[in-house]
Amino acid sequence: MQLRDYVIRRLILLPFLIIGVSIIVFSLTRIAGSPIGVYLSHEMSAAEVAQLEERFHLNDPLWTQYFYWVKGVFQGDFGWSGVASAAVADVFPAKLAATMELSLFSAFVAVVLGLWLGTFAGSRRNQWQDHVTRVVAVSGASLPLFWFGILLLIVFWANLGWFPVGRSDADIWASINHPTGFYIIDAILAGSLTALWDAIWHLILPALTLGFGAVAIITRMMRSALVEELQQDYVDAARAKGLPERLVLRRHARRNALVPTVTVIGLTLAFLMQGAIAAEIIFRWPGLGRWMASAVVRGDQATIMTYVLFTSVLFLLTNLIVDIIYAKLDPRVRLGD
Amino acid sequence: MKTENGIQTVGLTGTAALTAIGLMMAAPAWAQDRQTIVHGADEEPATLDPAEVEPGEGGEAIIFQVYERLLSVGPDSPELLPALATTVPTIENGLISEDGLTFRFPLREGVTFHDGSPFTADDVKFSWDRVISLSLPGSGAEILSDRVVETRVIDDYTFEVEIAEPDASFLYSAVLPTTASIVSQEAVEANGGDADGEPNEFMAGNMVGTGPYTFVSWNRTENLTLEVNEGYWGTPANDNVRLEMGVDPDVRVLGLRAGEFDTIETDPSYIADFEGMDGVEIYSEGLLLEPLHIGFNMNVPEGALPEGDTIPEDFFADVRIRQAFNYAFNYDAFINGALAGFGEVNPHYVPIGVFGYDPEAPRYDTQDLAKAEELFRETGYWDSGFTATVIVESGSLFEIQALILKDSIEGLNPDLRINVLGVAEAVFDEALAQSPLNYAMWAKNGDPAADPIDYLQTYSHPDGEWGEVHGFRSGYGDPDAIADLIDAAAVELDRTARAGMISELQTLLYEDPMWLIGAQEGVVTAYRDRIEGMVIQPLWPRPSINFAILDKTN
Repeated sequence: MQLRDYVIRRLILLPFLIIGVSIIVFSLTRIAGSPIGVYLSHEMSAAEVAQLEERFHLNDPLWTQYFYWVKGVFQGDFGWSGVASAAVADVFPAKLAATMELSLFSAFVAVVLGLWLGTFAGSRRNQWQDHVTRVVAVSGASLPLFWFGILLLIVFWANLGWFPVGRSDADIWASINHPTGFYIIDAILAGSLTALWDAIWHLILPALTLGFGAVAIITRMMRSALVEELQQDYVDAARAKGLPERLVLRRHARRNALVPTVTVIGLTLAFLMQGAIAAEIIFRWPGLGRWMASAVVRGDQATIMTYVLFTSVLFLLTNLIVDIIYAKLDPRVRLGD
Repeated sequence: MKTENGIQTVGLTGTAALTAIGLMMAAPAWAQDRQTIVHGADEEPATLDPAEVEPGEGGEAIIFQVYERLLSVGPDSPELLPALATTVPTIENGLISEDGLTFRFPLREGVTFHDGSPFTADDVKFSWDRVISLSLPGSGAEILSDRVVETRVIDDYTFEVEIAEPDASFLYSAVLPTTASIVSQEAVEANGGDADGEPNEFMAGNMVGTGPYTFVSWNRTENLTLEVNEGYWGTPANDNVRLEMGVDPDVRVLGLRAGEFDTIETDPSYIADFEGMDGVEIYSEGLLLEPLHIGFNMNVPEGALPEGDTIPEDFFADVRIRQAFNYAFNYDAFINGALAGFGEVNPHYVPIGVFGYDPEAPRYDTQDLAKAEELFRETGYWDSGFTATVIVESGSLFEIQALILKDSIEGLNPDLRINVLGVAEAVFDEALAQSPLNYAMWAKNGDPAADPIDYLQTYSHPDGEWGEVHGFRSGYGDPDAIADLIDAAAVELDRTARAGMISELQTLLYEDPMWLIGAQEGVVTAYRDRIEGMVIQPLWPRPSINFAILDKTN
């Protein structure tokens, strides 16, 4: 199947998948509790509870409630967040930008470091550099994220005071405009070095926490794939042609080793989004994850449904993009079969 | 010529310098550079509107800093003080009518709201009427709507209110709470006005008050910033305030240690972490007015108890069972363990520190296993055994209280089983909002109040809020006697007579307990030593800090 046809087929299927996901999300959140749970208190009279039930259409059949919700979603009304005390649609963009900034920064660190370390270790198989890299990778994969984060927090924030927590210094944040919500980009647009430094400085600890596990996975995958490729005949042929080892590695073996690694990188982004919840709580990062955690505890269903719907759509799109990159990297891959 | 110019230059420079010095000396104290007090808060406010805020909820503490009420209490005593009213009404000064039904408040002149509009009696009437007419679900509207018959503007600076029946607790229970805060009529009307039963979105996210702080911004789930109100009519605040919200409790502790926070909300179990820490002071004085309790429900619908419970629905209707639970509880373990020693035993629903508390009244203050066993034997459960569930918010102090109850009862006899059902906050709140309630026991804390009648009506009256839900009438030996005594104390204006009634009630409620009160938690917090003037007043909304009286030094 042609790549273009494959993409069109996947895009046609996408709305149906999203509808399926939305039904599952709606049903599961309703099973978990009442949508007015976040507003209830024992001081309320029966009449007050009835007033809330009326406002949230709880007296209508479940499918009618579902259609109210879907109608709202299409109109950009995702409901009221009891946790943020604001409309979900008003708060979501800023939180999303904060989480995306953290996840992308972590992903950037993880991909760059992971590919470099994987190549470094794979090209020095069974040498001491390979063993040291393995120790780093195993640590990253096995240390619980929340524990590693708290460790960094205690050492570098509470004891040494080298790094801050939170997303920004309140005064510096207030000194520039935030048209995109991405602090780094906004700092560059404002031409403020102070803000740029503040943004990066605040990102380091949470990104390191979040990215460490991903570095480990990418490193190990890259290393294994590279070791396998370096044993292939075409590598011997390249060497026999007299190509320098550097070029054999970069132009031939590493390019092919990237194919399986890209799939892992795609999945890693999903891992980073999930891990962001713990990292955001530990580092007081004002993103979707921290908001979501409070929403789950307090039963803020409008927030939970929006978050799960958003991440589901994100994963569907990410998978599609990964498949396309995969096909581009390896023309032998036959899409849709 | 040169000399002349030089003299002129020197003269001008000197004049300028003297003028600058003069201006600096003449500058008011507030002209100094403000610092920002950073507070690590526990909870995000649900709303900033006094007409919508739920008593005990996080928004109260912020409303308290920005809005003002007619009366206030100071940091050192529960005595009422003038605030937006210039005099505290009493029968003696003629501002309370002889029949106790009319209260007149002379108001402060020259006060302006943060939007520049003048404060008058119209704003007071508007604010109180607004709370009553909106009557938003979960708000404290009933503190006014249950009492107030009519509000009246006598002139621009005199406000009068008429209540339904004599009420000795009116000033504490209705005038002092954040619900009775005075909002700017002009600001509300300029921002959508009010529709009955509907919250005003502007008011939920903004504040226009008369207090020592003006509202600057609220970044949802992040922080909220307040700035010193430079035109405040009273003593201005020293520093601006930023509240960092929803911070994990461990991160709050580390933040104080790192110096990022100046003050934090914490509970006694963390205090040991701060002892001996450089730059950190511990404040511990007095008791919170939120007794930690376990409720006994004798109004469980048939077949509604959780699976595994073997008790009958009216299990707690037997006073001997309720007494046995009170005798069996290990108070020492709770206070010295979970509360790290910061707490007091107080089994009555009249907290220590509230008017009428009688230290001589009988009390369950130590674990008495022999007495508990005797009572369980009398009821027959000692031999037959039972299983009962207590529902509680997981991971909370209340869960520890429930676990101590489990240890206490099961340690007495392994056939007496207590299941602790820990659930998420939302699930717990939903379960507790049901009436009738499907659980025989639940653990939480009481809502703070300034007057004993608020506690007694809510937690002890057979027809009160919890009396109805829990079915106290089927549990009390003589429910009418309890009801009559509480009702009489509520309207008794003579303080001595009232204190006598409340003392008598404490004895009756010891003999016929409706709650197991594990402890009254101590006031304790930690703060950086650069903060001067730290005081915690339990009558102020939790965390019970008035930032306006603090001073942050370098």
